[in-house]
Amino acid sequence: MSTATYLYALCRPDAPQPAVRGVSGAPVRVVSAGELGALVSTVDLAEFGEQALTTNLDDLSWLARVAREHDAVVQACARVTTTAPLRLATICTDDESVRERLRRLSPAAADLLARLDDRQEWGVKLYAAAPVSTSSAPRAASSGVAYLRERRDELDRRAAAADAARRQADDVFTHLAGSAADARRHRPQDQQLSGADMPMLLNAAFLVEPAQLETFRAAVDEMARALPPNALVLTGPWPPYSFVSTEQL
Amino acid sequence: VTATLEARLDTAQPSLVDLLDRLLGVGVVVSGDVTISLAGVDLVTVRLRALIMTVREDGDG
Repeated sequence: MSTATYLYALCRPDAPQPAVRGVSGAPVRVVSAGELGALVSTVDLAEFGEQALTTNLDDLSWLARVAREHDAVVQACARVTTTAPLRLATICTDDESVRERLRRLSPAAADLLARLDDRQEWGVKLYAAAPVSTSSAPRAASSGVAYLRERRDELDRRAAAADAARRQADDVFTHLAGSAADARRHRPQDQQLSGADMPMLLNAAFLVEPAQLETFRAAVDEMARALPPNALVLTGPWPPYSFVSTEQL
Repeated sequence: VTATLEARLDTAQPSLVDLLDRLLGVGVVVSGDVTISLAGVDLVTVRLRALIMTVREDGDG
């Protein structure tokens, strides 16, 4: 079979080999070059080649399985050493090509690993307290003028509600970012995807150091108490997925 | 840190949607010799219906 090398995360070159299986059950190993290591496993190009990926990434059951397998490796590594997770389906042709890449990334990645040392990612999702109405209920207006006035008032109310939601999301983000080393905003999840009763206003990730953790969680607690139940959802700890961007590397 | 966390904490397996937010992220994944464009967000949008089914089966809606 024709194979390639799948990368899960960057780590230090002396990182222990995690006792976990990778995508499609392959054993995971560490490939190193200079100051940098990468957690990798061998994959079949029949499944992970460019053409196969185009098809497979559109297959949600495949995507879900590989996402879970990728996450399991990254989590196992993050439990024992500083880990900079890579995006799903980061693939090099072979181990030598991984080493070349590591040599090229080395200075920037060493800085990145130093920034991630001992820090955990926490996710915070904020949901609206009330559904954002998309259509106003038809009303029996007494006249054309009354109808237009009601219609205008309704639009004003909706704009004000959207403004308030934006401000609330900004406030939560800014406040929590104050107790974190770094912070990022993901796009709020589509309500159909989240399956939540209410629209999502904020989908944020915070990079928290051990010394800040108690303060950070207290801040989340305090905000949650001021909101309806389940309006603020904390997830984590995550490996620092949201704090490794391709621009940094 | 505390057992009395007021915010609901997802301690079980992370939800697939939360995971994909992080794993697909933004932009392009560059490999050694091949460049694979991973238009993550678009992929999710286009396959919205299929993903909803996956997520529901996952039992973590």
